Amino acid sequence: MKNNVPAFLLSRPSYEPRNFDKGRLKTSFIEKGIHHAAQIIQTGYVNWETASKDDFFQGIDARVKVIFLLFYIIIVSLKNDLISEVLIGVFVFILSIVASLNIFSFYKRVIFFSFIFGFLAAAPSALNIITKGHIILPLFHLSSAHHLWIYQIPQEIGLTKEGIYGVSMLTLRCMNSLSISLFVLNTTTFPDIIKALKAMLVTDAFLMVITLSYKYIFIFAKIVEDMHLAKKSRLVGQMSAVDGRRWAAGRIAFMFKKTTLRCEEIMKAMLSRGFSDNIKIYGARKLCLKDWTSGAILLLIGMIFLYI
Amino acid sequence: MEDIIRLNNICYSYYGRIHAVSDISLAVKKGERFAIIGTNGSGKSTLLQIMNGLIHQTSGTYHFKDLEVTENTLKNKGFLRFFRENIGYVFQDSDVQLFCPTVLDELIYGPLQLELNEGVALDRAFEVMKMLQIETLKDRPSYMLSGGEKKKVAIGSILTMNPDILLLDEPTNGLDPRTQCFLVELMLNLSDAGKTLVIATHDLSLVDELHARVALLSEEHKIEKIGDCDEILKDLDLLLKVNLIHEHIHFHGNIHHRHILSHNLSHKHEKD
Repeated sequence: MKNNVPAFLLSRPSYEPRNFDKGRLKTSFIEKGIHHAAQIIQTGYVNWETASKDDFFQGIDARVKVIFLLFYIIIVSLKNDLISEVLIGVFVFILSIVASLNIFSFYKRVIFFSFIFGFLAAAPSALNIITKGHIILPLFHLSSAHHLWIYQIPQEIGLTKEGIYGVSMLTLRCMNSLSISLFVLNTTTFPDIIKALKAMLVTDAFLMVITLSYKYIFIFAKIVEDMHLAKKSRLVGQMSAVDGRRWAAGRIAFMFKKTTLRCEEIMKAMLSRGFSDNIKIYGARKLCLKDWTSGAILLLIGMIFLYI
Repeated sequence: MEDIIRLNNICYSYYGRIHAVSDISLAVKKGERFAIIGTNGSGKSTLLQIMNGLIHQTSGTYHFKDLEVTENTLKNKGFLRFFRENIGYVFQDSDVQLFCPTVLDELIYGPLQLELNEGVALDRAFEVMKMLQIETLKDRPSYMLSGGEKKKVAIGSILTMNPDILLLDEPTNGLDPRTQCFLVELMLNLSDAGKTLVIATHDLSLVDELHARVALLSEEHKIEKIGDCDEILKDLDLLLKVNLIHEHIHFHGNIHHRHILSHNLSHKHEKD
């Protein structure tokens, strides 16, 4: 190549620092969103690290843990009193400590989702408009009772004892189900869960879809993060909201295109390695004494919860 | 020559757990060709991203032209502009770098960010396209380009901003020999034009061709040695220690050879 460097490349940007008093940049909504997307990788890594620890619960076979998960979720759904639900909650809490989980981040997630899907969804049913019963906390007093379509709005509106009980039950069930599920996910690596599901005769197609999805969530989260860094490296000031949305839309289209192409390549790669609608997973090891013992203990404790 | 980039005891770990670089201290001088070499995963790309202010060190200090670069200082609009117009970064994966609808849009994006008027931006774009021999691609979207073309566009998109320092992450990786040769000549031309080049690579022949000053990273993510190209590339024990070269067995006809495989500096045959 001849040395045909354009003249403008020979002129040098001034090294003198400019006036740096130009105000400060704010983090845009899109940037925050991308940071959260990138955190998927971090969460995945932290989960994998916790699940790979050499602690007692991590060492139990995944099949035992998956059966434990299903059995205890059934118990949580069958129980109809607060005491049992609280006891199950305490039991899972103790297990989390034994498994050396990060209790703060673990319960932060449990409480956040239980609040949204348990408490908020059920909260209106605590009112006497929905659940009839003894009002223990009056909220409004209307001049007279009203009849609205199928609803009878009483003169006094408030929280009923029965309603609060129902909301508490639902929130606790949600919290317990979530904590048991997250507990198993945090103490078992993803490949082990897949092996356990395969051993329990879960359909191959379903396992293949979740395995590939799980893997590609990480790959694409990494690509999104890199694309963001590439944009940042060429961005001199702040991107306007409109430009930010335009960039995000362009990148989504690019990702879609890339995903479609990648999907075809993966299928070809699978076929070339002998894929024929059936996943053959290596290494369903024999259950050892530790697995049988811990399985039996969990079963026994579950039975006690069922009968108290 | 003055130091443009100065890193002191830089450490960085991903997610606070995986160590990427550890206790790195180095200085890049104005106008020099500087290569960061090491095995895969030794922290070369991380170091370039720190130099470009895309990620921030967990400890240590980074000075660019005697001004400290931190997450906080880069939030200052004036400093950010000063910093970005001086340092350009070419990513290893061109796909992530190209985000505009066409090649031409890609090339004028940077100058428009620098608030140059559209005429000047277009002039720059056409001059760079001519230099890179990609004029015929100007209306093509990036996903319709070959690997080599993408790399040229990615480099062009940075050159139109006319940065004084170019950070290049594995610039010749995955390219055919002709495109590799083109890029090496381009880098030498840019260096002759006064640009400072910082290259992260494990391609020892590239380092040799550029005759760059070298920082060698170990697999422990630390600086093993900083020195001249010849001094480092000829030290086969050092290169073996950091696993950049290895012993290799091959055949010449019926003769069986075992020798150290490096770029082109060593091909000492020993009859087994």
